[in-house]
Amino acid sequence: MRVRAIALSVGALALVLVAVLATRPSAETKEAQSPLLGHPAPALQGTALDGSTVRLSDYRGRWVVLNFFATWCVPCQREHPELIAFTRRHAAAHDAQVLGVIFDDTAARARSFVARNGGGWPLVDDPGGSIALDFGVRGPPESYLVDPNGDVLAKVVGEVTDAGLERLLQRAQARENRAR
Amino acid sequence: MRRWLPWLALAAVLAVALAVGAGRHGGRATPAQRAHRIAGELRCPTCRSLSAAESDAKAAKAVRDEIARRVRAGESDSEIRAYFVSRYGRDILLEPEGTGVAAIVWVLPVAALVCGIAGLALYFRRRR
Repeated sequence: MRVRAIALSVGALALVLVAVLATRPSAETKEAQSPLLGHPAPALQGTALDGSTVRLSDYRGRWVVLNFFATWCVPCQREHPELIAFTRRHAAAHDAQVLGVIFDDTAARARSFVARNGGGWPLVDDPGGSIALDFGVRGPPESYLVDPNGDVLAKVVGEVTDAGLERLLQRAQARENRAR
Repeated sequence: MRRWLPWLALAAVLAVALAVGAGRHGGRATPAQRAHRIAGELRCPTCRSLSAAESDAKAAKAVRDEIARRVRAGESDSEIRAYFVSRYGRDILLEPEGTGVAAIVWVLPVAALVCGIAGLALYFRRRR
């Protein structure tokens, strides 16, 4: 009787574990924790591929998807068309902007990647890795959603999709509207 | 008195060993030594279990450069560690902090050691 109860308990525990693991979002793309969430984004200033100076504060008043990428990173290559689609959708309304930061890669390789694959958003070079350090980046691709006030609202580890970014943006906008 | 002599000798050896061990970290470290020590306490952001001092990864070099810059700027060790924790969270520290829930990892081994010694003492006393 006692053995049966123990076996039943272990079985129930295993079932719960399987259910929890099966319903978790995939590790490939998930919103991650970061000490920056809810806080002002670190000041970001760098040189874009066209030689101009880019500051995150230049985009105050717009939602910014800050995307850390590298040309050698396969998930970054896969998410690139998704970022293009997201950029196109928001181009007319001018309400959201993608801003790329080159992670552990060269500006020359990033330039040729963009020439081949398109993408009209500014790409900031980060040769010393200090921008990545300021945002607590562990590896590309990582994306941060920054609200129009300059606060970090979400961090996504892994490749993003156009639909996923849109959902994230709408959720964040709804949250901000409720808070007002 | 004679019964306690081995225990007193053991306590004296332990005290001397602890004093010698602690003395090794004494003295005034140069800025480079300080930076290296702090880098040794931080995890390389892009590696699994290497410290920023040991890793050749670019991210580890960025960590070392940032530490060196902050040491030059006159920041204390805890201020520098706090900067990295404010960006990466507590798991950037290779050794858990001694406060809050993380303190359990320091307290548990000591508690286990004390319980073990007490258990052994009790066992031998009963056998006598």
